[in-house]
Amino acid sequence: MRATRAWRVGLCAAACGLVLSCGGGDSVGTSGTGTTTTTTTTTGSNVASVVVNSGPANNTVNTLFTTVTVCVPGSTTNCQTIDNIQVDTGSYGLRLLAPVVTLSLAVQPAAVGNSLVECTQFADGYSWGPVALVDLQIAGESASSVPVQLIGDSRFPSVPADCSSTGGTEEDTVTAFGANGILGIGVFAQDCGSACVSTAQPATYYGCSSADCTASTVSLANQVQNPVTYFATDNNGSIIVLPTVPEEGAATVTGSLIFGIDTQSNNASGTETVLTVDAESGYLSASFNGSPTPLSKSFIDSGSNAIYFNDSNIQQCTDTDYSGFYCPTTGSLDLTVTLQGVNSVTSVVDFTVESAETLGTNNPTFTAFPTLAGTNPITDSFDFGLSFYYGRRVATALDGKTTSVGTGPYVAF
Amino acid sequence: MLRNPATSELKNWVLPLLTFAAALCPHVASATLGEPELSVQTDSAKFNGSIKVSEHASYRLHEIQLPSGTLLKEFVGADGNVFAVVWSGPRTPDLRQAMGRYFDEFTTAAAKTRHPDHNHLQVQQSDLVVQSSGHMRALSGRAYLPQAIPNGLSLGEIR
Repeated sequence: MRATRAWRVGLCAAACGLVLSCGGGDSVGTSGTGTTTTTTTTTGSNVASVVVNSGPANNTVNTLFTTVTVCVPGSTTNCQTIDNIQVDTGSYGLRLLAPVVTLSLAVQPAAVGNSLVECTQFADGYSWGPVALVDLQIAGESASSVPVQLIGDSRFPSVPADCSSTGGTEEDTVTAFGANGILGIGVFAQDCGSACVSTAQPATYYGCSSADCTASTVSLANQVQNPVTYFATDNNGSIIVLPTVPEEGAATVTGSLIFGIDTQSNNASGTETVLTVDAESGYLSASFNGSPTPLSKSFIDSGSNAIYFNDSNIQQCTDTDYSGFYCPTTGSLDLTVTLQGVNSVTSVVDFTVESAETLGTNNPTFTAFPTLAGTNPITDSFDFGLSFYYGRRVATALDGKTTSVGTGPYVAF
Repeated sequence: MLRNPATSELKNWVLPLLTFAAALCPHVASATLGEPELSVQTDSAKFNGSIKVSEHASYRLHEIQLPSGTLLKEFVGADGNVFAVVWSGPRTPDLRQAMGRYFDEFTTAAAKTRHPDHNHLQVQQSDLVVQSSGHMRALSGRAYLPQAIPNGLSLGEIR
């Protein structure tokens, strides 16, 4: 039995068709069925359109998608355009669900011999599949011979025991994963980094024959790569721009993913606050509710679908459809949290929490909810998920790359 | 240092045996949820200097620095059994090893639990709680046995 990814299956049965009709320009409109579509658009060859909808498995909320084109390396004709790719600043590298990939892509060799196959660990489970090279196009940007992961590839059906022993659930199908792929454009260039270069890490990279797999080291260049680092000019980071969304939510939201920071006229830095993040973990710090110790494992992440934090004063939802989310009984709650970067710069963020159950019940076809929040599974973390991105322009600068306002890794808004 | 007399008697012959087994094992051996702390001592033997033990009012804490960079903490109650494991670092440790007989219960429950996204998981059973969060290169979580938590110990201290 497979868990549903969102609070409810079939959340947006009526709304998904709206995505195709979203136009340019800034607008908040109401369609004939009473569902709203919120749109903001930046133009330029370095701008990809992004959308919040219920995804390919019709089971996501507050999940941001884009479209990529991948080609067999060196070919300009043997190409495939794939939509419903989740945009994730909490991971590094492009991963595609192999069942949607129609191209024939050769698997890379592993340092220990045989084929390079990866166990990708997420907080809720793991994904398994080989590494292949593709030529990638997104908006007007291109990247040649980028190592990507093909999740759930039938050529490597057996998940090693130490991979599945990391727990959670196996996420190797579109339904289980909730997307056709994931575009990891967080602060790091590789998904593992130097730790995998000298040591064959458990449950990470393997050399696999048809019979079995052996843990393998992987050079930095052969690891699954954040594609932004491959772009010719716009390679120091990216900016996600999403419109303000009404408190009750919206059926869909359209925004922009701008590549580069201070490399074009449309991605210039201004007066935003720059918060550097830890160069090992990507974490920054937050203080909330006068907590005596800072929440040191906090992060800003387009791949999280709500604001996740702990406040024992807020009632949790009792309906199992909304398990883990907050359901305050006193209407909307206006709260304040203070973020602090590794550079000691602070930023005070106001946010609003409304009952997840009320939001979902009032507008069952909506997929974008700026006031959606839930409990954080760990005590010393505050996760600023996609709810935080609405109405903001959030820049992610890559580790070691400079912009006019600082050096990454940082997040600015 | 072993307080549990039964465990101490076993130490002379079981410990070398387990150490040998651990040396053969490609993973880092670790103590197991719901079972005696003996296996923590096995790690101490194998990873000399990588384990730190500290005494607290209602539990003994073993902190094991895994070669992956992940820190694994194991909380041992007065009965000598592990009642909680906590991890934090670039990669999730071998939870089948750390959770022992509770691992299958965890994965079965996880498959029936709603996953809001890839960055959060909460499994709440009457006898087992597993909570996990983080992003790539920085994953944290804990698994504990709610019925075995020492009286007066705040859940917030299991971190």
